[in-house]
Amino acid sequence: MDSNNAIIKVNGLSKYFQVAVREAGLKASTKSLFHRTYKTVKAVDQISFEIGRGEVVGFLGPNGAGKTTTLKMLSGLLYPTSGQVQVLGCEPSRRSADYLRQITLVMGNRNQLSWDLPAVDSFELYRAIYEIPRQQFIRVRDEFIEMLELKDLVNKPVRNLSLGERMKMEIVGSLLHTPKVLFLDEPTIGLDVTMQRRIRTFIEDYNRRYSATVLLTSHYMADVEALCKRVIVINHGKILFDGSLSQLVERFSPLKTISVTLSKPIANPSQYGEVIEQTSGMVKFRVPKASTSAVTARILADLPVDDLTVEDPPIEDVIEKAFSHEGL
Amino acid sequence: MRVLKLAFTYLRIGIANEMQYRVNFFIQLLQSFVSLGTGLIGLALVYNYTNELGGWTRPELLAVMGVYIFMGGIINAAIQPNMGRLMEEIQAGTLDYALTKPADGQVLVSIREFRVWQLVDVVVGLVVLGIAVDQIHQRIGMLETLEFVAALLMGAVMIYCFWLMLTSTAFWIVRVSDNIINLFQGVYAAGRWPVTIYPNWLRLGLTFLVPVAFAVTVPAETLTGHLQPLTLLEAAGLTLLLVALARLVWRLGVRNYSGASA
Amino acid sequence: MRHYLDFYLTSMKIAIQEQFQYPVANYFYMIGMIAEPVIYLVVWSTVATLQGGTVGGYAPGYFAAYYIVWTLVRNMNIVFTPYGWEMRIQRGQLSGELLRPIHPLHSDVAYFAGWKVVVIVLWLPLAACLALIFKPSLNPTWLQVVVFFIAIWGAYLIRTMLLSLLGMITFWTTRVGALYELFFAFELILSGRLVPMALMPGWVQTISAFLPFQWTFFFPINALVGNPTTPDLLYGLGMQLVWIIAGIFFARIVWRLGIRRYAAVGN
Repeated sequence: MDSNNAIIKVNGLSKYFQVAVREAGLKASTKSLFHRTYKTVKAVDQISFEIGRGEVVGFLGPNGAGKTTTLKMLSGLLYPTSGQVQVLGCEPSRRSADYLRQITLVMGNRNQLSWDLPAVDSFELYRAIYEIPRQQFIRVRDEFIEMLELKDLVNKPVRNLSLGERMKMEIVGSLLHTPKVLFLDEPTIGLDVTMQRRIRTFIEDYNRRYSATVLLTSHYMADVEALCKRVIVINHGKILFDGSLSQLVERFSPLKTISVTLSKPIANPSQYGEVIEQTSGMVKFRVPKASTSAVTARILADLPVDDLTVEDPPIEDVIEKAFSHEGL
Repeated sequence: MRVLKLAFTYLRIGIANEMQYRVNFFIQLLQSFVSLGTGLIGLALVYNYTNELGGWTRPELLAVMGVYIFMGGIINAAIQPNMGRLMEEIQAGTLDYALTKPADGQVLVSIREFRVWQLVDVVVGLVVLGIAVDQIHQRIGMLETLEFVAALLMGAVMIYCFWLMLTSTAFWIVRVSDNIINLFQGVYAAGRWPVTIYPNWLRLGLTFLVPVAFAVTVPAETLTGHLQPLTLLEAAGLTLLLVALARLVWRLGVRNYSGASA
Repeated sequence: MRHYLDFYLTSMKIAIQEQFQYPVANYFYMIGMIAEPVIYLVVWSTVATLQGGTVGGYAPGYFAAYYIVWTLVRNMNIVFTPYGWEMRIQRGQLSGELLRPIHPLHSDVAYFAGWKVVVIVLWLPLAACLALIFKPSLNPTWLQVVVFFIAIWGAYLIRTMLLSLLGMITFWTTRVGALYELFFAFELILSGRLVPMALMPGWVQTISAFLPFQWTFFFPINALVGNPTTPDLLYGLGMQLVWIIAGIFFARIVWRLGIRRYAAVGN
């Protein structure tokens, strides 16, 4: 993409933390009174990427991979140790009011709304904080309330809402100032399936309507599959993959799963491919993508097949494999 | 008795626990000295303008302060931690653990906690008291010492019973109870001065409503010669009454207690 | 600047709405606080009576007035505790504030300001009761009343800045308990909280004139219940302004340094 048009530009970004080394035992703790040793933890290590306007990018990685640290650097909460980061042409760590007015960071479990008051009152406060012109504020607020079906709930004290309802309110609150860049850290964590779906649709709608750039982390594959055309995989502070989801599957798991239901048990199934599961009536094979048709044909020809399905391996497995990869 | 053994076990555990946080000792030392300092400054300011207050001479006022600090140390070491924990457990519904143990509930919740570093105040209080008594030139013999100890014991028991009843209100009205405790802390501060200087209505309140008089002023009276003949008898009577009352309130509370809701 | 006015008014509205939901809790807190001044009141009234009516030139009626007004000023002095800053910083509660385009100190000041409005309203009946019991002598001029009303907010702002500065020390170290205790002890003695400053020895009064403490306590109270001259009142307001400006100046610097460390070290 044209580098000049990129909304988020990250180049050689690193964040190192100094962590005191602490060992167990009396002798070690006495020693530590006099001589503190530190080790450097590389939470984020020389990552680079660019994200353009309107993209929805999934940021994947196991816990401790560096996702949240990266998001915090992008939103200005943490200073990078080295490297450049630019969002909307601004340096996030300067935390200029202009910059802060155009972004939002939503972290799954944070409660920003006033507990005792109805959400509308908190929204009013956000209007004042972000200097949203009143007409625009009313229009956007009502639009969001409509989209998430919150009309009956906005006037109830937030403490009386269920977890899902509260999360919806928090998201509305965090988008009232129609930010151009959204950093979403586990936005659907702890919610039931219906609620997750609603929020997902909402984010999609918002992205479409306002051409907003979205960088989202999630452990729920459904979020990633539904929203993200592009994913960045990070682990141990390094980027392992940056591309489309299908490319990810292609790169890390160019395999297919063939599930065969047999009318009679067979003696030596492993001649057809790697057997990953076998019960009395069913066998599951994992075969390279390229040889799928050939193997399927052989199975259909040789074996007493009642039913046969060919599937992609679950995304979770692919991701897991990607995580353990050693890096680009 | 099993109760005493149990108390000693808790004591031992409490002390062992606190020993790990030796820094708390220094913090407590600082707090005690700051407290003592401001108390002495308060006294000095009053001394600036008068030699005696309500019939109490300067060293006698110092003696009152000594007993105040001493009693405060005991309250903060043994009574307040237990009552605080009891309040939390009633509100959180986790009192069940204490109630289902084979020891008497009230005894258990009253002896579980012990903040050993608060004893610094006990020492400071005794030192101040000692200095004050030295200046009083009042004869302190066996009788006075016995009276003093008796008054202290009864005062402490009364404070305990009162506080137990206060905490037990949490069995019925959950939210407000925290603030009631704040109220007590504020009122106890009145014990810094002999209650005889307060207007009648206040003095009555500090005697029968919140037993500050018996906790601080009366023990001080035993050592300064102010003691009225019947006072200790009244104290004994009130102590018995409060013990019975506290027990009753406790039992009613426990019966009313429903434990953690679903 | 209309933006800031809008923000303050909206924040205060929220604070008022929230706090009016807890009248009982607020009342109990205020009542618990009354014990302290009542004790001082009684002691000094007794001393006055013993000394033939006045002590230091003040009669019991003055002490009653002083310590009753004390309760309001004390409430106005209550701001976000420096101990709370430690929690804020450790628990990452600052992050939410840091993402907003308004300086977090504004949030504190605005919210507590709204709360103070509730406190003032709740205080009035309490003061009436105390007045019935202790019979204060109160005869302020209109100027005194006006200055008093301004001064209590001045006191609020000074103390906010002071305690925020104290709290921000926790950006660098959490071993601050001792420092806070000492600060509060000095404040107790030098602010007029313990006794009216006029009863303090001369050298203490001299020192106090150069410190911010008495402008948060003694000055507002005495403005209403004493006999300050007009120059006294104006000088007092001026001193309050000086300390507010100094407080804001230092708070901004320390905050910037503190955030730099916070953002470098993370939470």
